[in-house]
Amino acid sequence: MSLSGWIIIAIIAFIALTMVAMYNRLVGVRNQVKNAWRQIDVQLKRRHDLIPNLVEVVKDYMSYEQETLQKVIQARNSAVQASTPEQAIPAEGALSGALGKLFALMENYPDLKANQNVARLMEELSSTENKIAFSRQFYNDSVMSLNNAVQSFPSNFIAGMFNFKEATYFQVAETETAVPKVDLR
Amino acid sequence: MTGAMPVTCPECGAANAAGAKVCRQCGALLKQALKDTPRIQHKMLLRTDFMAAARANQSNTRKLVIILTAVGGALGYLIGWAFQAGSGGQPPGTDPLWFFSSWGLTGAAVMLAASIIWTVIAFNSGDRIIMGMTGAHEVTVKEEPQLFHVVEEMALAAGLPKPRVYIIETPAMNAFATGMRPDRAAIAVTRGLLEKLSRDELQGVVGHEMGHIVNWDIRYATAVSVMVGLIALVSDGVLRSMYYYGGPRGRQRDSRGGAGAAVMMVVMIVFAVLAPLFARLVQMAVSRQREFLADATSVRLTRHPQGLISALEKLAQAAEPFKGANRATQHLFIVNPFRNFSEQASALMATHPPLERRIARLRNLGGT
Repeated sequence: MSLSGWIIIAIIAFIALTMVAMYNRLVGVRNQVKNAWRQIDVQLKRRHDLIPNLVEVVKDYMSYEQETLQKVIQARNSAVQASTPEQAIPAEGALSGALGKLFALMENYPDLKANQNVARLMEELSSTENKIAFSRQFYNDSVMSLNNAVQSFPSNFIAGMFNFKEATYFQVAETETAVPKVDLR
Repeated sequence: MTGAMPVTCPECGAANAAGAKVCRQCGALLKQALKDTPRIQHKMLLRTDFMAAARANQSNTRKLVIILTAVGGALGYLIGWAFQAGSGGQPPGTDPLWFFSSWGLTGAAVMLAASIIWTVIAFNSGDRIIMGMTGAHEVTVKEEPQLFHVVEEMALAAGLPKPRVYIIETPAMNAFATGMRPDRAAIAVTRGLLEKLSRDELQGVVGHEMGHIVNWDIRYATAVSVMVGLIALVSDGVLRSMYYYGGPRGRQRDSRGGAGAAVMMVVMIVFAVLAPLFARLVQMAVSRQREFLADATSVRLTRHPQGLISALEKLAQAAEPFKGANRATQHLFIVNPFRNFSEQASALMATHPPLERRIARLRNLGGT
Protein backbone atom coordinates (compact mmCIF):
# COMPACT_ATOMS: atom_id res chain seq x y z
CA MET A 1 0.00 0.00 0.00
CA SER A 2 1.15 3.51 -0.67
CA LEU A 3 2.37 5.85 2.05
CA SER A 4 -0.72 8.08 1.82
CA GLY A 5 -2.89 4.98 2.31
CA TRP A 6 -1.07 4.14 5.53
CA ILE A 7 -1.39 7.73 6.74
CA ILE A 8 -5.15 7.64 6.15
CA ILE A 9 -5.43 4.36 8.04
CA ALA A 10 -3.39 5.82 10.90
CA ILE A 11 -5.65 8.88 11.09
CA ILE A 12 -8.81 6.76 11.08
CA ALA A 13 -7.38 4.50 13.77
CA PHE A 14 -6.44 7.52 15.86
CA ILE A 15 -9.94 9.00 15.61
CA ALA A 16 -11.56 5.66 16.45
CA LEU A 17 -9.34 5.18 19.51
CA THR A 18 -10.07 8.72 20.69
CA MET A 19 -13.80 8.09 20.36
CA VAL A 20 -13.53 4.86 22.36
CA ALA A 21 -11.57 6.67 25.06
CA MET A 22 -14.15 9.47 25.24
CA TYR A 23 -17.02 6.99 25.41
CA ASN A 24 -15.35 5.06 28.21
CA ARG A 25 -14.67 8.25 30.12
CA LEU A 26 -18.34 9.25 29.86
CA VAL A 27 -19.42 5.83 31.15
CA GLY A 28 -16.96 6.12 34.01
CA VAL A 29 -18.15 9.57 35.05
CA ARG A 30 -21.82 8.57 34.81
CA ASN A 31 -21.24 5.58 37.07
CA GLN A 32 -19.34 7.79 39.47
CA VAL A 33 -22.37 10.08 39.70
CA LYS A 34 -24.67 7.11 40.41
CA ASN A 35 -22.34 5.72 43.03
CA ALA A 36 -21.97 9.13 44.68
CA TRP A 37 -25.75 9.40 44.98
CA ARG A 38 -25.89 6.01 46.71
CA GLN A 39 -23.22 7.15 49.17
CA ILE A 40 -25.44 10.06 50.24
CA ASP A 41 -28.30 7.64 50.74
CA VAL A 42 -26.20 5.39 52.97
CA GLN A 43 -25.28 8.32 55.21
CA LEU A 44 -28.88 9.57 55.47
CA LYS A 45 -30.01 6.09 56.59
CA ARG A 46 -27.24 6.03 59.16
CA ARG A 47 -28.43 9.33 60.55
CA HIS A 48 -32.01 8.05 60.84
CA ASP A 49 -30.74 5.06 62.83
CA LEU A 50 -28.65 7.14 65.20
CA ILE A 51 -31.20 9.77 66.17
CA PRO A 52 -33.55 7.57 68.31
CA ASN A 53 -30.51 6.38 70.30
CA LEU A 54 -29.39 9.92 70.98
CA VAL A 55 -32.87 11.07 72.01
CA GLU A 56 -33.20 8.06 74.33
CA VAL A 57 -29.94 8.91 76.11
CA VAL A 58 -30.41 12.67 76.41
CA LYS A 59 -34.11 12.84 77.35
CA ASP A 60 -33.45 12.18 81.05
CA TYR A 61 -31.00 15.06 81.23
CA MET A 62 -32.96 17.45 79.07
CA SER A 63 -36.45 17.16 80.56
CA TYR A 64 -37.01 20.91 79.97
CA GLU A 65 -36.33 20.58 76.26
CA GLN A 66 -39.14 18.16 75.40
CA GLU A 67 -40.31 20.39 72.59
CA THR A 68 -36.95 20.37 70.80
CA LEU A 69 -36.68 16.60 71.22
CA GLN A 70 -40.19 16.18 69.84
CA LYS A 71 -39.30 18.26 66.80
CA VAL A 72 -36.20 16.18 66.14
CA ILE A 73 -38.24 12.96 66.33
CA GLN A 74 -40.93 14.34 64.04
CA ALA A 75 -38.42 15.61 61.50
CA ARG A 76 -36.66 12.27 61.60
CA ASN A 77 -39.88 10.33 61.05
CA SER A 78 -40.98 12.42 58.10
CA ALA A 79 -37.48 12.11 56.60
CA VAL A 80 -37.67 8.31 56.93
CA GLN A 81 -41.03 8.28 55.13
CA ALA A 82 -39.83 10.36 52.20
CA SER A 83 -39.32 8.06 49.24
CA THR A 84 -38.34 10.28 46.30
CA PRO A 85 -35.42 12.74 46.23
CA GLU A 86 -37.93 15.59 45.77
CA GLN A 87 -39.51 14.74 49.14
CA ALA A 88 -36.28 13.67 50.80
CA ILE A 89 -34.23 16.81 50.20
CA PRO A 90 -36.51 19.26 52.11
CA ALA A 91 -37.26 16.66 54.82
CA GLU A 92 -33.56 16.04 55.41
CA GLY A 93 -33.04 19.79 55.46
CA ALA A 94 -35.63 20.19 58.23
CA LEU A 95 -34.03 17.34 60.16
CA SER A 96 -30.61 18.97 59.94
CA GLY A 97 -32.11 22.19 61.27
CA ALA A 98 -33.78 20.47 64.23
CA LEU A 99 -30.63 18.51 65.04
CA GLY A 100 -28.54 21.64 64.92
CA LYS A 101 -30.82 23.26 67.46
CA LEU A 102 -30.56 20.22 69.72
CA PHE A 103 -26.75 20.21 69.49
CA ALA A 104 -26.66 23.89 70.41
CA LEU A 105 -28.93 23.30 73.43
CA MET A 106 -26.82 20.37 74.60
CA GLU A 107 -23.94 22.79 75.08
CA ASN A 108 -25.86 24.09 78.13
CA TYR A 109 -25.73 20.74 79.93
CA PRO A 110 -22.22 20.02 81.24
CA ASP A 111 -23.45 16.69 82.74
CA LEU A 112 -24.46 15.59 79.28
CA LYS A 113 -21.09 16.33 77.78
CA ALA A 114 -19.42 14.37 80.59
CA ASN A 115 -21.51 11.28 79.75
CA GLN A 116 -19.40 8.85 77.73
CA ASN A 117 -22.40 7.48 75.87
CA VAL A 118 -23.55 10.92 74.81
CA ALA A 119 -20.05 11.96 73.78
CA ARG A 120 -19.82 8.85 71.60
CA LEU A 121 -23.25 9.43 70.02
CA MET A 122 -22.49 13.09 69.45
CA GLU A 123 -19.24 12.19 67.68
CA GLU A 124 -21.12 9.59 65.60
CA LEU A 125 -23.83 12.04 64.66
CA SER A 126 -21.61 15.00 63.88
CA SER A 127 -19.44 12.69 61.82
CA THR A 128 -22.54 11.49 59.97
CA GLU A 129 -23.55 15.10 59.36
CA ASN A 130 -20.08 15.72 57.94
CA LYS A 131 -20.27 12.58 55.84
CA ILE A 132 -23.58 13.72 54.37
CA ALA A 133 -21.99 17.03 53.50
CA PHE A 134 -18.85 15.43 52.06
CA SER A 135 -20.68 12.82 50.03
CA ARG A 136 -22.94 15.56 48.68
CA GLN A 137 -19.85 17.54 47.80
CA PHE A 138 -18.38 14.55 46.00
CA TYR A 139 -21.70 13.97 44.27
CA ASN A 140 -21.77 17.57 43.05
CA ASP A 141 -18.13 17.35 41.91
CA SER A 142 -18.99 14.20 39.98
CA VAL A 143 -22.03 15.88 38.44
CA MET A 144 -19.78 18.74 37.39
CA SER A 145 -17.32 16.43 35.60
CA LEU A 146 -20.18 14.59 33.91
CA ASN A 147 -21.80 17.83 32.78
CA ASN A 148 -18.46 19.20 31.60
CA ALA A 149 -17.89 16.06 29.54
CA VAL A 150 -21.42 16.12 28.12
CA GLN A 151 -21.27 19.79 27.16
CA SER A 152 -17.71 20.33 25.99
CA PHE A 153 -16.28 19.74 22.55
CA PRO A 154 -15.57 17.12 21.20
CA SER A 155 -17.04 14.68 23.73
CA ASN A 156 -20.47 16.32 23.36
CA PHE A 157 -20.83 14.48 20.00
CA ILE A 158 -20.27 11.11 21.65
CA ALA A 159 -22.60 12.10 24.49
CA GLY A 160 -25.32 13.04 22.02
CA MET A 161 -24.82 9.87 20.00
CA PHE A 162 -25.15 7.54 22.99
CA ASN A 163 -27.67 9.58 24.95
CA PHE A 164 -25.60 10.69 27.92
CA LYS A 165 -27.62 13.23 29.89
CA GLU A 166 -26.57 15.96 32.24
CA ALA A 167 -27.19 15.21 35.93
CA THR A 168 -28.74 17.61 38.44
CA TYR A 169 -26.83 19.09 41.35
CA PHE A 170 -27.84 18.37 44.93
CA GLN A 171 -28.96 21.82 46.02
CA VAL A 172 -28.91 22.72 49.69
CA ALA A 173 -32.13 24.11 51.18
CA GLU A 174 -32.05 27.43 53.03
CA THR A 175 -32.73 25.91 56.45
CA GLU A 176 -29.85 23.53 56.07
CA THR A 177 -27.22 26.14 55.38
CA ALA A 178 -28.07 27.71 58.74
CA VAL A 179 -26.95 24.69 60.80
CA PRO A 180 -24.72 25.84 63.67
CA LYS A 181 -21.28 24.28 63.81
CA VAL A 182 -20.69 22.07 66.85
CA ASP A 183 -17.14 21.53 68.05
CA LEU A 184 -16.85 18.90 70.74
CA ARG A 185 -13.42 19.94 71.86
CA MET B 1 10.97 30.16 65.99
CA THR B 2 7.34 30.05 65.03
CA GLY B 3 5.74 29.39 61.67
CA ALA B 4 3.39 32.31 62.08
CA MET B 5 6.31 34.73 62.23
CA PRO B 6 4.93 38.25 62.23
CA VAL B 7 6.08 40.37 59.33
CA THR B 8 7.24 43.83 60.24
CA CYS B 9 6.21 46.52 57.80
CA PRO B 10 9.26 48.36 56.41
CA GLU B 11 7.25 51.59 56.06
CA CYS B 12 5.53 52.09 59.39
CA GLY B 13 6.91 49.27 61.58
CA ALA B 14 3.53 47.69 62.26
CA ALA B 15 3.45 43.93 62.90
CA ASN B 16 1.45 41.94 60.38
CA ALA B 17 0.32 38.33 60.42
CA ALA B 18 2.57 35.81 58.67
CA GLY B 19 1.84 35.52 54.99
CA ALA B 20 0.31 39.00 54.83
CA LYS B 21 1.03 40.65 51.53
CA VAL B 22 -0.01 44.19 52.32
CA CYS B 23 0.53 46.10 55.58
CA ARG B 24 -2.76 46.45 57.40
CA GLN B 25 -1.76 49.83 58.82
CA CYS B 26 -0.26 51.75 55.93
CA GLY B 27 -1.02 49.53 52.94
CA ALA B 28 2.62 49.19 51.86
CA LEU B 29 3.60 46.06 49.97
CA LEU B 30 5.47 43.82 52.41
CA LYS B 31 8.95 42.45 51.71
CA GLN B 32 7.80 38.97 52.62
CA ALA B 33 5.27 39.09 49.83
CA LEU B 34 7.88 40.20 47.33
CA LYS B 35 10.29 37.49 48.43
CA ASP B 36 7.55 34.88 48.28
CA THR B 37 6.74 35.57 44.68
CA PRO B 38 9.53 34.57 42.35
CA ARG B 39 8.35 33.27 39.02
CA ILE B 40 6.76 29.93 39.91
CA GLN B 41 5.25 31.14 43.16
CA HIS B 42 3.91 34.13 41.35
CA LYS B 43 2.21 31.87 38.84
CA MET B 44 0.66 29.85 41.66
CA LEU B 45 -0.50 32.90 43.59
CA LEU B 46 -2.25 34.37 40.62
CA ARG B 47 -4.33 31.24 40.26
CA THR B 48 -6.63 31.40 43.18
CA ASP B 49 -8.81 28.35 42.78
CA PHE B 50 -7.56 24.99 43.95
CA MET B 51 -8.26 23.13 40.74
CA ALA B 52 -6.01 25.48 38.78
CA ALA B 53 -3.39 25.21 41.51
CA ALA B 54 -3.52 21.44 41.24
CA ARG B 55 -3.20 21.55 37.45
CA ALA B 56 -0.21 23.91 37.50
CA ASN B 57 1.39 21.71 40.08
CA GLN B 58 0.89 18.52 38.15
CA SER B 59 2.48 20.00 35.05
CA ASN B 60 5.44 21.16 37.16
CA THR B 61 5.95 17.66 38.54
CA ARG B 62 5.64 16.10 35.12
CA LYS B 63 8.39 18.37 33.78
CA LEU B 64 10.65 17.45 36.68
CA VAL B 65 10.11 13.73 36.15
CA ILE B 66 10.89 14.07 32.43
CA ILE B 67 14.11 15.91 33.30
CA LEU B 68 15.06 13.16 35.72
CA THR B 69 14.44 10.42 33.17
CA ALA B 70 16.49 12.36 30.60
CA VAL B 71 19.41 12.62 33.04
CA GLY B 72 19.28 8.87 33.69
CA GLY B 73 19.14 8.08 29.97
CA ALA B 74 22.00 10.51 29.24
CA LEU B 75 24.14 8.89 31.92
CA GLY B 76 23.56 5.43 30.42
CA TYR B 77 24.31 6.77 26.95
CA LEU B 78 27.58 8.39 28.04
CA ILE B 79 28.77 5.23 29.73
CA GLY B 80 28.02 3.07 26.71
CA TRP B 81 29.70 5.62 24.50
CA ALA B 82 32.82 5.79 26.67
CA PHE B 83 33.14 2.01 26.71
CA GLN B 84 32.81 1.91 22.96
CA ALA B 85 35.42 4.63 22.57
CA GLY B 86 37.70 2.89 25.05
CA SER B 87 37.49 -0.46 23.30
CA GLY B 88 38.08 1.14 19.92
CA GLY B 89 34.89 -0.22 18.48
CA GLN B 90 33.91 3.03 16.85
CA PRO B 91 36.77 5.49 17.34
CA PRO B 92 35.38 8.90 18.22
CA GLY B 93 36.77 11.75 16.20
CA THR B 94 37.33 9.68 13.07
CA ASP B 95 33.72 8.90 12.28
CA PRO B 96 31.61 11.84 11.03
CA LEU B 97 28.80 10.61 13.24
CA TRP B 98 31.08 10.22 16.24
CA PHE B 99 28.50 11.56 18.66
CA PHE B 100 26.26 8.69 17.69
CA SER B 101 27.11 5.53 19.54
CA SER B 102 25.26 2.23 19.27
CA TRP B 103 26.65 1.12 22.65
CA GLY B 104 25.45 4.41 24.04
CA LEU B 105 21.89 3.70 22.95
CA THR B 106 22.18 0.30 24.57
CA GLY B 107 23.43 1.94 27.76
CA ALA B 108 20.47 4.33 27.84
CA ALA B 109 18.03 1.50 27.19
CA VAL B 110 19.59 -0.60 29.96
CA MET B 111 19.28 2.33 32.40
CA LEU B 112 15.59 2.84 31.59
CA ALA B 113 14.81 -0.88 31.72
CA ALA B 114 16.59 -1.22 35.06
CA SER B 115 14.65 1.72 36.50
CA ILE B 116 11.34 0.22 35.36
CA ILE B 117 12.10 -3.23 36.82
CA TRP B 118 13.31 -1.76 40.11
CA THR B 119 10.21 0.46 40.30
CA VAL B 120 7.88 -2.52 39.83
CA ILE B 121 9.65 -4.38 42.62
CA ALA B 122 9.42 -1.33 44.90
CA PHE B 123 5.69 -0.96 44.13
CA ASN B 124 5.01 -4.50 45.21
CA SER B 125 6.83 -4.47 48.53
CA GLY B 126 6.63 -0.89 49.88
CA ASP B 127 4.00 0.03 52.45
CA ARG B 128 4.04 -2.62 55.19
CA ILE B 129 7.78 -2.13 55.50
CA ILE B 130 7.30 1.63 55.91
CA MET B 131 4.64 1.15 58.61
CA GLY B 132 7.00 -1.21 60.41
CA MET B 133 9.88 1.25 60.15
CA THR B 134 7.90 4.05 61.76
CA GLY B 135 6.43 1.86 64.52
CA ALA B 136 2.79 2.56 63.63
CA HIS B 137 -0.03 0.28 64.84
CA GLU B 138 -3.46 -0.08 63.28
CA VAL B 139 -6.51 1.17 65.24
CA THR B 140 -10.25 0.42 65.01
CA VAL B 141 -13.28 2.70 65.22
CA LYS B 142 -13.83 1.62 68.85
CA GLU B 143 -10.37 2.74 69.94
CA GLU B 144 -10.17 6.08 68.12
CA PRO B 145 -13.66 7.08 66.96
CA GLN B 146 -12.85 10.65 66.07
CA LEU B 147 -9.74 9.94 64.00
CA PHE B 148 -11.49 7.04 62.33
CA HIS B 149 -14.52 9.15 61.46
CA VAL B 150 -12.41 11.98 60.12
CA VAL B 151 -10.61 9.53 57.83
CA GLU B 152 -13.96 8.11 56.69
CA GLU B 153 -15.25 11.60 55.97
CA MET B 154 -12.22 12.52 53.90
CA ALA B 155 -12.44 9.24 51.99
CA LEU B 156 -16.07 10.06 51.17
CA ALA B 157 -15.11 13.55 50.06
CA ALA B 158 -12.43 12.07 47.80
CA GLY B 159 -14.73 9.31 46.57
CA LEU B 160 -12.23 6.61 47.56
CA PRO B 161 -12.43 3.54 49.78
CA LYS B 162 -11.46 4.26 53.37
CA PRO B 163 -7.73 3.81 54.00
CA ARG B 164 -6.52 1.82 57.02
CA VAL B 165 -5.86 4.00 60.06
CA TYR B 166 -2.64 3.85 62.08
CA ILE B 167 -1.33 5.61 65.15
CA ILE B 168 2.28 6.21 66.10
CA GLU B 169 2.71 6.48 69.87
CA THR B 170 4.90 9.55 70.19
CA PRO B 171 4.33 13.05 71.57
CA ALA B 172 5.77 14.53 68.36
CA MET B 173 3.20 15.96 65.93
CA ASN B 174 3.22 14.48 62.45
CA ALA B 175 1.25 12.39 59.98
CA PHE B 176 1.86 10.45 56.80
CA ALA B 177 0.20 8.32 54.17
CA THR B 178 1.44 5.25 52.31
CA GLY B 179 0.09 2.80 49.77
CA MET B 180 0.95 2.29 46.15
CA ARG B 181 -2.72 2.35 45.14
CA PRO B 182 -5.66 4.40 46.48
CA ASP B 183 -7.61 1.26 47.35
CA ARG B 184 -4.81 -0.16 49.48
CA ALA B 185 -3.70 3.00 51.23
CA ALA B 186 -3.09 3.77 54.89
CA ILE B 187 -2.93 6.96 56.92
CA ALA B 188 -0.89 7.26 60.10
CA VAL B 189 -0.92 10.10 62.63
CA THR B 190 1.09 10.53 65.81
CA ARG B 191 -0.49 10.55 69.27
CA GLY B 192 0.80 14.09 69.82
CA LEU B 193 -1.04 15.34 66.76
CA LEU B 194 -4.25 13.63 67.81
CA GLU B 195 -4.14 15.18 71.28
CA LYS B 196 -3.21 18.73 70.31
CA LEU B 197 -5.37 19.37 67.24
CA SER B 198 -9.08 20.22 67.16
CA ARG B 199 -11.41 18.21 64.95
CA ASP B 200 -11.24 20.80 62.14
CA GLU B 201 -7.47 20.89 62.24
CA LEU B 202 -7.27 17.10 62.24
CA GLN B 203 -9.57 17.12 59.24
CA GLY B 204 -7.20 19.47 57.41
CA VAL B 205 -4.22 17.21 58.12
CA VAL B 206 -6.08 14.02 57.17
CA GLY B 207 -7.27 15.85 54.03
CA HIS B 208 -3.64 16.58 53.18
CA GLU B 209 -2.75 12.90 53.57
CA MET B 210 -5.80 11.91 51.55
CA GLY B 211 -4.49 14.37 48.96
CA HIS B 212 -1.26 12.36 48.71
CA ILE B 213 -3.38 9.25 48.13
CA VAL B 214 -5.71 10.86 45.56
CA ASN B 215 -2.74 12.24 43.61
CA TRP B 216 -0.83 8.93 43.69
CA ASP B 217 2.06 10.72 45.37
CA ILE B 218 3.39 7.65 47.11
CA ARG B 219 3.87 6.00 43.76
CA TYR B 220 5.36 9.17 42.32
CA ALA B 221 7.83 9.47 45.19
CA THR B 222 8.79 5.80 44.90
CA ALA B 223 9.37 5.99 41.15
CA VAL B 224 11.42 9.16 41.52
CA SER B 225 13.51 7.80 44.35
CA VAL B 226 14.23 4.63 42.37
CA MET B 227 15.49 6.74 39.45
CA VAL B 228 17.62 8.86 41.79
CA GLY B 229 18.98 5.74 43.49
CA LEU B 230 19.85 4.17 40.15
CA ILE B 231 21.63 7.30 38.91
CA ALA B 232 23.61 7.51 42.15
CA LEU B 233 24.53 3.81 41.99
CA VAL B 234 25.67 3.89 38.37
CA SER B 235 27.62 7.14 38.78
CA ASP B 236 29.30 5.73 41.83
CA GLY B 237 30.26 2.59 39.90
CA VAL B 238 31.71 4.65 37.06
CA LEU B 239 33.80 6.80 39.40
CA ARG B 240 35.10 3.75 41.25
CA SER B 241 36.11 1.97 38.07
CA MET B 242 37.91 5.14 36.93
CA TYR B 243 39.74 5.26 40.21
CA TYR B 244 40.89 1.64 40.18
CA TYR B 245 41.54 0.94 36.52
CA GLY B 246 42.12 4.35 35.03
CA GLY B 247 39.05 4.05 32.89
CA PRO B 248 37.25 1.20 31.22
CA ARG B 249 39.52 -1.11 29.18
CA GLY B 250 42.74 1.01 29.42
CA ARG B 251 42.55 3.96 27.10
CA GLN B 252 46.35 3.99 26.36
CA ARG B 253 46.00 0.79 24.36
CA ASP B 254 44.03 2.54 21.69
CA SER B 255 46.02 5.20 19.88
CA ARG B 256 43.64 5.93 17.00
CA GLY B 257 40.92 7.74 18.89
CA GLY B 258 43.20 8.80 21.76
CA ALA B 259 42.29 12.49 21.96
CA GLY B 260 38.59 11.90 21.40
CA ALA B 261 38.53 9.14 23.99
CA ALA B 262 40.31 11.32 26.54
CA VAL B 263 37.76 14.09 26.06
CA MET B 264 35.04 11.48 26.42
CA MET B 265 36.48 10.29 29.70
CA VAL B 266 36.52 13.80 31.11
CA VAL B 267 32.95 14.43 29.99
CA MET B 268 31.83 11.18 31.57
CA ILE B 269 33.61 11.85 34.86
CA VAL B 270 32.11 15.32 35.12
CA PHE B 271 28.68 13.92 34.31
CA ALA B 272 29.04 11.07 36.78
CA VAL B 273 29.89 13.56 39.52
CA LEU B 274 27.12 16.02 38.69
CA ALA B 275 24.27 13.67 37.72
CA PRO B 276 23.53 12.29 41.23
CA LEU B 277 23.60 15.78 42.74
CA PHE B 278 21.29 17.10 40.08
CA ALA B 279 18.96 14.09 40.36
CA ARG B 280 18.73 14.64 44.11
CA LEU B 281 17.82 18.31 43.57
CA VAL B 282 15.08 17.31 41.15
CA GLN B 283 13.77 14.74 43.63
CA MET B 284 13.51 17.38 46.35
CA ALA B 285 11.78 19.78 43.97
CA VAL B 286 9.23 17.07 43.07
CA SER B 287 8.65 16.39 46.74
CA ARG B 288 8.04 20.07 47.49
CA GLN B 289 5.64 20.41 44.58
CA ARG B 290 3.67 17.40 45.80
CA GLU B 291 3.37 18.93 49.26
CA PHE B 292 1.82 22.06 47.81
CA LEU B 293 -0.49 19.91 45.70
CA ALA B 294 -1.58 17.87 48.71
CA ASP B 295 -2.35 21.10 50.58
CA ALA B 296 -4.52 22.28 47.69
CA THR B 297 -6.25 18.90 47.56
CA SER B 298 -6.93 19.07 51.29
CA VAL B 299 -8.76 22.34 50.69
CA ARG B 300 -10.69 20.78 47.82
CA LEU B 301 -11.84 17.99 50.13
CA THR B 302 -12.61 19.99 53.29
CA ARG B 303 -13.61 23.32 51.66
CA HIS B 304 -12.20 24.78 54.85
CA PRO B 305 -8.62 26.12 54.43
CA GLN B 306 -8.67 27.53 57.96
CA GLY B 307 -8.45 24.06 59.52
CA LEU B 308 -5.24 23.14 57.72
CA ILE B 309 -3.79 26.62 58.23
CA SER B 310 -4.19 26.52 61.98
CA ALA B 311 -2.96 22.90 62.06
CA LEU B 312 0.19 23.93 60.20
CA GLU B 313 0.65 26.84 62.58
CA LYS B 314 0.45 24.47 65.54
CA LEU B 315 2.87 22.10 63.84
CA ALA B 316 5.27 24.98 63.28
CA GLN B 317 5.25 25.76 66.98
CA ALA B 318 5.71 22.17 68.11
CA ALA B 319 9.19 21.51 69.37
CA GLU B 320 9.62 17.75 69.45
CA PRO B 321 11.27 16.18 66.42
CA PHE B 322 10.00 12.73 65.54
CA LYS B 323 12.67 10.09 65.98
CA GLY B 324 10.83 7.31 64.17
CA ALA B 325 11.53 8.90 60.81
CA ASN B 326 14.71 8.55 58.78
CA ARG B 327 16.08 9.89 55.51
CA ALA B 328 14.26 7.17 53.59
CA THR B 329 10.82 8.05 54.92
CA GLN B 330 11.05 11.80 55.58
CA HIS B 331 9.34 12.86 52.37
CA LEU B 332 6.19 11.00 53.41
CA PHE B 333 5.34 13.17 56.40
CA ILE B 334 3.10 16.25 56.46
CA VAL B 335 5.94 18.32 57.90
CA ASN B 336 9.61 17.43 57.68
CA PRO B 337 10.30 15.35 60.80
CA PHE B 338 13.85 16.73 61.03
CA ARG B 339 12.65 20.31 60.70
CA ASN B 340 13.78 23.26 60.62
CA PHE B 341 10.63 24.80 59.21
CA SER B 342 11.95 28.32 58.75
CA GLU B 343 12.76 30.17 55.55
CA GLN B 344 16.37 28.91 55.69
CA ALA B 345 15.05 25.40 55.23
CA SER B 346 13.84 26.38 51.77
CA ALA B 347 17.29 25.38 50.56
CA LEU B 348 17.33 23.25 47.45
CA MET B 349 17.75 20.07 49.44
CA ALA B 350 14.55 20.35 51.49
CA THR B 351 11.83 17.72 51.04
CA HIS B 352 9.13 20.14 52.25
CA PRO B 353 8.48 23.79 51.44
CA PRO B 354 8.78 26.15 54.41
CA LEU B 355 5.55 26.22 56.41
CA GLU B 356 5.17 29.98 56.04
CA ARG B 357 5.00 29.56 52.30
CA ARG B 358 2.49 26.72 52.52
CA ILE B 359 0.32 28.81 54.83
CA ALA B 360 0.60 31.79 52.48
CA ARG B 361 -0.67 29.69 49.59
CA LEU B 362 -3.52 28.30 51.67
CA ARG B 363 -4.54 31.83 52.61
CA ASN B 364 -4.54 32.55 48.92
CA LEU B 365 -7.02 29.69 48.49
CA GLY B 366 -9.50 31.45 50.71
CA GLY B 367 -8.36 30.98 54.31
CA THR B 368 -8.11 33.98 56.62
